[in-house]
Amino acid sequence: MSIIYVLIPIAILFVCIGLGIFFWAVRSRQFDDLNKEGMSILFEEEKQAAPQNDKDKLPPQ
Amino acid sequence: MSYSGCFHCNEVIPKGSDFSLQIEQQQRQFCCPGCLAVAETIIDQGLGDYYKFRTAPASKAELVPGQLQLVNYDSAEVLADLTQNKDNHTQIELSISGISCAACAWLIEKQLKKNPTVYSVSVNSSTARCIVSWDVKQLKLSDILTSISQLGYQAAPFMADQEEAVQQAELRRFLKRLAVSGIMSMQVMMLAFGLYFGEYTGIEPQFEGYLRWISLLLTTPVVFYSAKPFTLSAWRAIKGRELNMDVPVTLAVFYTFIASAYATLFGIGEVYFESVCMFVFLLQLGKFFEFRARAQARAATGNLLKIMPVSARLVQGDELVPTSARRLEAGQIILVQAGETIAADGVVLSGESSVDESMLTGEYKAVSKAAGDTVMAGSINHDGVLKVTVHQALASSRLGQIISLQQQTLNQKPQIVEKTTQLARFFIQRLLIIALATFLVWYFWLDQERAFWVTLSVLVATCPCALTLATPTAITCALARLNRKGILIKNQQVLEVLPQLTSVFLDKTGSLTQGRFSILRTQLHNTAYDEATLLALIARIETYSEHPIARAFSSYLNTEIKVEQVQVHVGSGLSALWLQNNASLTVKVGSAAFCAVQDQTAAAVCCTINNQLVLSVELSDALRPEVPALITALKQRGLTLSMLTGDSSAQVEEVQQQLQFDQVFKGCSPEQKVEHIQQAVSQGDKVLMLGDGINDSPCFHAAHVSVALDSGTDLSKNQADVVLLHNDLHLVQQLIEGAVLAQRIVKQNLWWAVGYNLVIIPLAVAGFVSPYIAVIGMSFSSILVVSNSLRLLKT
Repeated sequence: MSIIYVLIPIAILFVCIGLGIFFWAVRSRQFDDLNKEGMSILFEEEKQAAPQNDKDKLPPQ
Repeated sequence: MSYSGCFHCNEVIPKGSDFSLQIEQQQRQFCCPGCLAVAETIIDQGLGDYYKFRTAPASKAELVPGQLQLVNYDSAEVLADLTQNKDNHTQIELSISGISCAACAWLIEKQLKKNPTVYSVSVNSSTARCIVSWDVKQLKLSDILTSISQLGYQAAPFMADQEEAVQQAELRRFLKRLAVSGIMSMQVMMLAFGLYFGEYTGIEPQFEGYLRWISLLLTTPVVFYSAKPFTLSAWRAIKGRELNMDVPVTLAVFYTFIASAYATLFGIGEVYFESVCMFVFLLQLGKFFEFRARAQARAATGNLLKIMPVSARLVQGDELVPTSARRLEAGQIILVQAGETIAADGVVLSGESSVDESMLTGEYKAVSKAAGDTVMAGSINHDGVLKVTVHQALASSRLGQIISLQQQTLNQKPQIVEKTTQLARFFIQRLLIIALATFLVWYFWLDQERAFWVTLSVLVATCPCALTLATPTAITCALARLNRKGILIKNQQVLEVLPQLTSVFLDKTGSLTQGRFSILRTQLHNTAYDEATLLALIARIETYSEHPIARAFSSYLNTEIKVEQVQVHVGSGLSALWLQNNASLTVKVGSAAFCAVQDQTAAAVCCTINNQLVLSVELSDALRPEVPALITALKQRGLTLSMLTGDSSAQVEEVQQQLQFDQVFKGCSPEQKVEHIQQAVSQGDKVLMLGDGINDSPCFHAAHVSVALDSGTDLSKNQADVVLLHNDLHLVQQLIEGAVLAQRIVKQNLWWAVGYNLVIIPLAVAGFVSPYIAVIGMSFSSILVVSNSLRLLKT
């Protein structure tokens, strides 16, 4: 049972790290607009200009 | 999403138009060249994901952004007024119109980040704001604005007011405190479970002591950091010799914490660290949601400074110098082009145009201006070019005056004493006296050893949790409920006043009416043509005009009709050639005088073909369709209805005949409107004011509750307590009903909380309630109150 003398302080350390990361996230305005951050995962990070065939458009008449 | 209309904005595609683009092997149709151009830009830039993931259609794109006006933003003076310098970058906040969902934010960020001189972009989709920092030496502000407008959004420089910045910072602090109390609660709860089981199965004293010490360590930041707002508020109240809800909260938190710390130190008694943490966490959570709802409502409607003109073009000899509108001085001459906002009060020196002053006067008809006429800052020049001699600087202009009138009335807002605060004050006094008496009686006469613990259970059992949660939870749920219906409440006190409402003041133009021209009736003078074709023809020609009359015809637009040589005649009408069956006919659309016809009716627009009158159209500002039903419903509630309008035309009488108000005040200036409302307030009425224009906004502070429409000006939305997000006046009725319902729930909650306390106090005082049972009772009554409030979310 004396293992809890080691394990609980380690758990507390993790909690502190977690809180630190959360504070950083709040400071860097990640919580200002939750809608946008929720959507961001859907978008591909790097996508080059669309392939040529997409550009074939009909001129307006 | 499915598209029946335009692929970009989902609006109806006019007959005969053909704008299409191949997107990912599918032919897509668009409603106008503007939308097509925007879609083309988006696809070419490889941002096609936008169409895949957006959750709402975009707003219709305008083809020609005001290029000229954008260039004005590049002058050093204007930039200095608008931007901040942060470690070698220039930072600016932009307000962007047209953002409909989170995908829009992504689109704008992507587009701007393509430019290497832009260091950072952050778009907030819920407040429609964007913060850009970039290198001003390598990239002009107008280029940034142009690249946003290529995506179909309109961006304008913006400066948040002080109060809003403070609120944003406060919101971030709230989040941090919430995280600390939430995460610590979990930890302490885990340890508490160990201790609970130890009670029953036995636990070695050294482990029990260890777990208690760890709990104490973890609870300390909750008490001293997370609960700080309560402590400070309680301290302020006590210093001001008052009692508010935070006093017993703070007392309970500290009393329980100190008792538990004492128990830990000396290894006697019980610890209640988990109760402290949970209590603080739950209270914080409620406060946070409430605060966030208010802060967001405020930010979303706070685009106030957009209406203040930013830049102007100064005439210096033969040259035009762009300058900041705030630095204009009396005597200077400025040039105002079509579509621009007039930057200062002044007199027209030369030129001819029609000017939209609706924001300032509530009058929706454009006023024609020629040399010698006065113009006001903030009004919009429609079609001609004006040279204006500045008479007054922006701050002392009519617009500036209305805004400062608003600031003055801000402090005159009728005060509402919150009932729960009164109740709490009464209750807390008694409670503190009882607790003190209990301690003294036990200590001196009964059992000295138990005195501390009995007093603790009195304080814990009667802990005002349920009482303090009763109102805020109900209010938060009511806010969420109304928000879902499209009612944004920025000042939660309105929920407390609305059930007692006695009088309603309504603005006419733009609130009861639609605030724009619509076709009242038409008269056909030549049977060779049919009416539908003629209306379509007028609509086609009117697309070349910026005048508000043109919009009345937009629903008749048919692009199959071919017209040529369209000419805009400022302040009178348009002429064009109509190509029909290889013949071309001269068409004139405009006032009777312009068309050179004698017209018996009071028609606003005449149409001639080869100088023969064929159609006359009467226009009016029609009532919103839901208004009669709303008026009837409000009358049934027994409310006094008054119409308050700046208009003094015959239309006021017409509306009065149709709707039968109890009082009508016409031709009112903003100051008179305020007076009428203040008079009603001083007679003891509880007043609601519904309005939309800048001229209504000073009254908003005079009334107990102010409601603005989404179609209203930004300034009025910024100042109102309540904003209706859909232009549907039925929401007013829903607002009142929602408030009545919320009040009923609050009453139920308070009855329960007070009733529970009255039962438990005698038991606790007599020493029959052990602290553990007190905690269970307290939690149970809190849960009951919260669940009761949650019923408001069910519709």
